[in-house]
Amino acid sequence: MVEAVYILCGLTSLACTVLLLRGYRRTRARLLLWSGLCFVALAVSNVILFVDLVLFPGRDLAVWRSASALVGIGTLLYGLIWDSA
Amino acid sequence: MVLKAMLNGALVMGCLACALFFVRFWRASRDRLFAFFALAFLGMGFNWLALALLEVDDERRHFVYVLRLISFLLILYAIWDKNRVGRGKVS
Repeated sequence: MVEAVYILCGLTSLACTVLLLRGYRRTRARLLLWSGLCFVALAVSNVILFVDLVLFPGRDLAVWRSASALVGIGTLLYGLIWDSA
Repeated sequence: MVLKAMLNGALVMGCLACALFFVRFWRASRDRLFAFFALAFLGMGFNWLALALLEVDDERRHFVYVLRLISFLLILYAIWDKNRVGRGKVS
């Protein structure tokens, strides 16, 4: 059950990435690019989450999970502040 | 441990800031897409807040990820909703 939630988190974030970047390719709206890049990092974070908690439960990759997510959120914030106003 | 807490705190703050930006865009354009994005980032912010506050062994920890899943599903719904409305306008 828990594993299913982790897998679904990974899959949905991946789907968000694909849809947002596809939207950017179609419309060239910069906000979609920044959101898409944000979700690339969030998807990586979710993959690390699955590897950390399901595949290798002995290891603690929490810092890597949070760091990759922070890169994503930071990218989006950068875009929102400097590019999309 | 301190680094983890700091990263989680930064994530909460970052998500809330993104949510506020999307609320501003929504107020300016009245585009539902931005409202959904704001809600999703608010959910993600709460997700990381809960993860920062709960102990590592806490059993409820797993349920917090359901909140993250709901946030991602909200984004997917927002994109689908936007595409549907867009198509409606064209035809």
